[in-house]
Formats: sequence, structure tokens, C-alpha cells
Amino acid sequence: MAEPDNTNRLSPELVAAARAAGLDKVLERFPDDIADAARSAAADLADLPPIDGASEPWPPMRIRTPR
Amino acid sequence: MSELHWLTAAEIRAAYAARRLSPIELTEALIRRVEAENLRINAFITLDAERALDAAREAEKDLAAGRARGALHGVPVAVKDNIDIAGLRTTCHSKVLVDNVARADAPVIAQLRAAGAILLGKLSLHEFAFGGPSKELPFPFARHPWNPDLHPGGSSSGSGAALAAGMVPLALGTDTGGSIRNPSGICGLAGLKPTYDLVSRRGVFPLSFTLDHVGPMARTVGDVAMLIDGMAERVPAGGYGVDLARGLRGLRVGFVRHFHERDMIADSEVAAALDEMTRVLAREGADVRDIHLPRLQQIAATQRIILLAEAWAVHGKWVRERPEDYTTPTRRKIMAGAFISSGDYVRAQQLRAHMIDAIDDAFRDVDVLLTANGMDYACRIDNPAELARVYPRQARSPFNLTGHPALAIMSGLSKSGLPLSAQLVGRAHDEVTVLRAGAAYERATGWHKHRPPAVREAMARREPARA
Repeated sequence: MAEPDNTNRLSPELVAAARAAGLDKVLERFPDDIADAARSAAADLADLPPIDGASEPWPPMRIRTPR
Repeated sequence: MSELHWLTAAEIRAAYAARRLSPIELTEALIRRVEAENLRINAFITLDAERALDAAREAEKDLAAGRARGALHGVPVAVKDNIDIAGLRTTCHSKVLVDNVARADAPVIAQLRAAGAILLGKLSLHEFAFGGPSKELPFPFARHPWNPDLHPGGSSSGSGAALAAGMVPLALGTDTGGSIRNPSGICGLAGLKPTYDLVSRRGVFPLSFTLDHVGPMARTVGDVAMLIDGMAERVPAGGYGVDLARGLRGLRVGFVRHFHERDMIADSEVAAALDEMTRVLAREGADVRDIHLPRLQQIAATQRIILLAEAWAVHGKWVRERPEDYTTPTRRKIMAGAFISSGDYVRAQQLRAHMIDAIDDAFRDVDVLLTANGMDYACRIDNPAELARVYPRQARSPFNLTGHPALAIMSGLSKSGLPLSAQLVGRAHDEVTVLRAGAAYERATGWHKHRPPAVREAMARREPARA
């Protein structure tokens, strides 16, 4: 008997993104976790303010005060 | 002498100096305490009784011979189980690493040993310092000593629970988005997230490389200062506690009121305690004024994007290959990083630079910031929805993003008798001033003297209090 397809509750775009991230095993076993993780990431990204693309991002950690 | 398990590290040192206490007597008492209380609280994953007693015997010999080992000579310390101690498992409270035995001490542990500390064992945490309470965990999750039906905060949950239950006077935690300050606040303790990189992160299992901090937790601010002296890679002359007795006269305090009044509305009792704290600080001589920082949600989201991207870099391979070995809360949180793009990560790092500047600029006008710690107090541990609601309601993660030192300190009791907490933040590398402010507030209020009612009652049933 064929394995049930646990991914049919997820959008095709989300399934494609999860497969691109190598999450095939998780898609099979824990599809709800994929949906939850994607929702969570989208919520955090929505709160990120806009920024000038030319701003200097590096070094990633900078303590300005002299030691 | 009061009950041995409630002695502070400072009291222990004084008792040793006066020959009123021996390290063996104290270590044996704490081992008994852990064995009894851990059945209820689950703070310890590994109790290293045998080696702790060996270290206590060595400490006693040295004390008797007048050989001073260091600031923590003969003082027991327990360690969050994501930090390596040679010969013990570092499980990160996960099935993924349940058999992972450390071959060497993390440098911070080697420093503690050199300072004379007695290492009592390894403490419970949220899985990989990121998950949450779950029955899928390989060991029981820690519970709140004031009421075991409540969550003790996290991710350094065992560190908070062990201190608040009187199992140990000092504990190490780690803090990527507030994981020292959350359990410190929820359990009525003091906990310091030091300046980024002040304490070595080598030998500490990473969650997010640029946000991770290792720091001290204790029942008093003075003990926090003593422990950071034994952990830090740089210690100022006189130690981090050099200004503990200085008081608040002339200190400029910036109250970041909008964090909890506008950006994220705090519980009314948490907010009232913060207002009262401003009055106490002013009464003690501080100049308290309102100050504005970037909106809390924006700083928190920036921290979160970096955390998710870096945690995915650490865990992606394991999650792909063995997802069943993670608990559901951890798996869900970590996998969010799979949906963050490289562009999002760089954008967050760009924003981070601006936010560091904004906080540094605020310190042109003030010496210390006062903010909410959590927006709520302890919630039930068996209510996943409430845990998920409360967890992000906090003002801690901004200072992981910017690297500034931040101290959690008890600020009162709720009407239901649970600890409330506030946060004091300082300039980078100015832990001395943060600890000075915390110690002065502690002296003025005495909140740190409160003990868990459940522990008091249980102890009264089991053993008579020592004279």
C-alpha cells in the first residue's frame, strides 16, 4: 500500500521551498511543523523595518566603545 | 549559621575565612539538598557528587594550609548543560546529544576551576537553549520552585530553578535572546548577560554565534559580581563588584518606558513595579528620566532573523537527517530558519549596525537604562499556548542584538506572590555600573531576600531549621 501523502495540506509553494531546503523527511513525518515554521519566519520578516540596501552590514558584531 | 543551602557565595566565603564552615560540610549539604529537591524541581540533569566532594576535600586542605585559590575558593557552582565539563555529558537536554561526553573543559569552566570553584553538576535547559518544556525530552523539564505547576523561565531553566530552590549558590547560564534574564526574573534572582565576548563561548554549544552570551546567575547582585570575576576574560582592578557599595548618587538612569507601555503592553503589576522602581532609584539619589530607543518589535524582529538564520546553520543538517530526535517545539523553532533567505540575514545585520548606534547614542545622556525584563510573570508549565504567548513578550533580546550588558533583578511580588523583575542595561564593557545600580536597588528594597513558599513549607515538613 502506498504511503499517505502528508504534504497535501501545504501549499505547493511551501512544499517546493521545504524541498529546496532539504526537508523531505520532515515533510513526510511532520508537515504541520513545516507550516508552523514558515508562518513564524514570515511573521518575523514582517516586523523587519526597511533599510537602505547600501548600509554596511559588516562586521556582524561591533562593540563601539573602546575596551 | 542560617540553613547552609541558603547561604550566598559572599556568606560562604566569610564563613570559610572565619573557620565556621568547611567546603566538605557545605558540599555534602548541597548534595543532600539536590537529591531531595530534584525529585520535585528537575533542575539537575547530572549531579557530579563524587568529583564535587573530591574538589571540596582539596579546597578544605588548601584553606587549612592558608593557600588561597581564587575568588571562588570552595564555592559550589552548577553549570547549564550546554557547556562542556570534561568527563561529563553535554546533552543540551536533547536526544540528539544524549551520549555526548565532553573531552575537555570549556575555557570558562577551566577559569572557574582555577578560581577555586567546586563544580556540582549540569543543569536542565530548554532543548539546545531554544525549545521549551516538552514530554518528548530525554530528561524531565525543570519546574518553578515557588510553585512546580509553573514554568521557571528559560532557556537556562535549571539554573534558575536550582538557585531558587537553594540547591546551589551560583550557576552559569547562556543567553541568546534573554535566556539568563528570563529565568532570573521569573524565579526572583539576579542574572547578568555580560557584554558580548566578555566570557569565552568556546566549548559552549552554539545556538547563534553572534548573539550567544555566557553569564552568571545568583540570588544576589553581589554574588553575580563575584561569579563574573571568575568567568570573564578581562577583570577590572578591584573586580566587577568594585562599586557595589557606592550607591546611586549622581547616576543618570534612562527609563525606556515605551517598551512596555506602548510597544508591548506589560501586565499591569509588572508596569506598576517598574514605576515604583523609578521612585526608589530617585529616592536613592539617581537622576531618572524617560528615554526613547527604536521600537521594541523592530529590534526584536532583527534579533530573531539573525537567530533563526544562525541556528539553522548549526542545526540544519541534523534536522534534515533525524528530525524525530528533536522535540516538536525545538524542531518548529529551528526550521523557521530554513525560510529565511541570505538577503534577509544581511538586511538584519545592516539593521543591527544601526541599532547598536542607537543604543550607544542613548548612553551619551545616561549611564544606565531601565527597562522591563519580561512583560508577564510566571505562567503554567502545562499550557503550551500560554507559554507561546508569553515567551516573545519581553525586552531582553534587543541587548543580545547590540551586545550591551544587561542585568535582571527582582522588582517586587505579584498579588499572587510571584516574583516580578526589571532589567538594567549599561554601556558596552561597563558591567561595573550596571552591578552598582542593581546592588543599590537590592539594598534599598530587600526583594532578593524572599524565598519560595513551597520550598519553605516542604523543608519545614522534612527537617527542622538549623539554628
